[in-house]
Amino acid sequence: MKETPVLFGPDRSLVGIVNTPDAEGKMAPVACLMLNMGANYRVGPHRINVKLAREMAAHGISSIRFDLAGLGDSGQPSGAGHFMKQVVLDMQAAMNLVETMLGIRRFIVIGLCSGSTNGMATAMVDSRIVGILMFDGYAFPGRRSQLELALHRALAVPTNPAVIGKTMRWLKRKFSAKAAAARAPADLFEPVPREVTEEIFHRSMTQLVGRGVALFFLYTGTTHVRDHGRDQLGRFAAEPYARHIDYRFMGEIDHGLTSLASQRTFMAAVCEWALRVARGRTPGQQHAAAKAAPAEPGPGLSLNALAALPDNALRPADAAAAPEGQPQATTKTIAG
Amino acid sequence: MTPLLFGPASRQLFGLFHPSEREGATAVLLCPPFGQESIRAHRLFRVLADRLARAGVAVLRFDYYGCGDSPGDDAQGELEGWRRDVCVAHDELKRLSAASHVVWLGARLGASVAVLAARSGRADPARLLLWDPVFDGNQYLAHLRERHVDALEQSFVVPDPAWRRELARKPEAFGSELLGYEVAPALLAQLRALDANALPLTALYETTVLADPEDAAARHWADTQLARHMPLRLLPFKHPMTWTADPHPNNAMVPAEALQRLLAEIGN
Repeated sequence: MKETPVLFGPDRSLVGIVNTPDAEGKMAPVACLMLNMGANYRVGPHRINVKLAREMAAHGISSIRFDLAGLGDSGQPSGAGHFMKQVVLDMQAAMNLVETMLGIRRFIVIGLCSGSTNGMATAMVDSRIVGILMFDGYAFPGRRSQLELALHRALAVPTNPAVIGKTMRWLKRKFSAKAAAARAPADLFEPVPREVTEEIFHRSMTQLVGRGVALFFLYTGTTHVRDHGRDQLGRFAAEPYARHIDYRFMGEIDHGLTSLASQRTFMAAVCEWALRVARGRTPGQQHAAAKAAPAEPGPGLSLNALAALPDNALRPADAAAAPEGQPQATTKTIAG
Repeated sequence: MTPLLFGPASRQLFGLFHPSEREGATAVLLCPPFGQESIRAHRLFRVLADRLARAGVAVLRFDYYGCGDSPGDDAQGELEGWRRDVCVAHDELKRLSAASHVVWLGARLGASVAVLAARSGRADPARLLLWDPVFDGNQYLAHLRERHVDALEQSFVVPDPAWRRELARKPEAFGSELLGYEVAPALLAQLRALDANALPLTALYETTVLADPEDAAARHWADTQLARHMPLRLLPFKHPMTWTADPHPNNAMVPAEALQRLLAEIGN
């Protein structure tokens, strides 16, 4: 594996690290884009982007982890445009760099939390993105799911001091004048109404799945205690495109990947999925391949040709197995 | 600002060099904290480095081996190696900046590592500035174990009550994975042995300590060094930054108090 620090973008103000596998002959024809989760810098929560980048490289997949403009070590945005417009420009600059350095023209966005929104917005305008991990990203739990969660928490109160603490903090945030004042700056921005978010999500999913973009919705124990199939998608679970995505709920890991066991489980699931994307074997890619003309050839192999490769063509898919002693994640792939 | 890899091929380190924008003879080597505390301080140190560079002070920020963007896994981190990393980074900063006067700014465990590195005699810092240093390893471990369970409880929608019970009953619980970072037995043993006696100063450089007035470990360490007639100043400094937490409305990403105080102390 090789790691190369880079400065890139129109004015070389974006900072990143490019990871490439040791043997270039086994380099997959897709690369991962790893970006900030919230306002933290490019290494990700608990250095997970570094660990994931190295795990990906061990399986033949290159990556770039970088800071968006205004975050981490990267310079300020060049213009006064909307934040999301700048995000798209930054992600395109990262893709341009990897294309120049490695000749790779297909990309998977590792979207952690806010990163999933960034990935979706960029994929809508740039067809080089062929896969997006939506880690605790968009969620539209319905009334039943919310009531079930409230019930779980209420049942835990008598025996679980941590739930009492969480409830007290929630009440304090809700009713304390000081906490309300602390929240005030957020009100400076016009909140996006739920209907608008839902409309953007629906339109984007329709277009991206139609284009054959692989989508992996991964939710954690920070969102709920359990999942009955696709609870976090709410009413969108019944949409046709929902049949062509990967969906997993992992109640044993958390949003911040705080424990090492959480990190191992997360990396195994994401590596396994990324390898399937590289081979064109996700539900969305297979659906698109079945209904459409052959995909446009890239610098390496077409998606159809990739799908025909044996499993060990890139690297052994040993990442698919959960680490010894770790609980197997609840898998709920929505297909067919 | 230039990102770079430096050091011997077998132990490369990632760094970011901020060249001075005006002529100056001073440079600053930033010795970061460990783990989550390092992520927390990242943006503050980025802004601090920019300000210093503009004022004519070159800065090198870097990650210890097995930390941040540097090569190596979490489990390969240990104090002896990090002490050598500080010395390698010092040499790299002198090569890049041609500064004659290098100040080491060490924060949290980075302050402890800086003291160990300065003591080794392999580098010649002109001054040490230690911010919220860790001078009691057992207290530090207990703090991080507690914060680890806090983080789990805050993150899971319905936390497991067994975590808190395990923390109370088992002194070793969560010690090998402090706030998301694997801690190898070697580092754990080094941290347990870290105390005032393990961190002696030498008289070759001046040392300034910025610490909370209620930090008894810092006071004890300073008293020990002053009794040995070391050139040391212990200055009280309270700030709102929570080292182990992500930024939030009452815990600013770049607290102005810290930025101003560090700039002032380095300027002195």
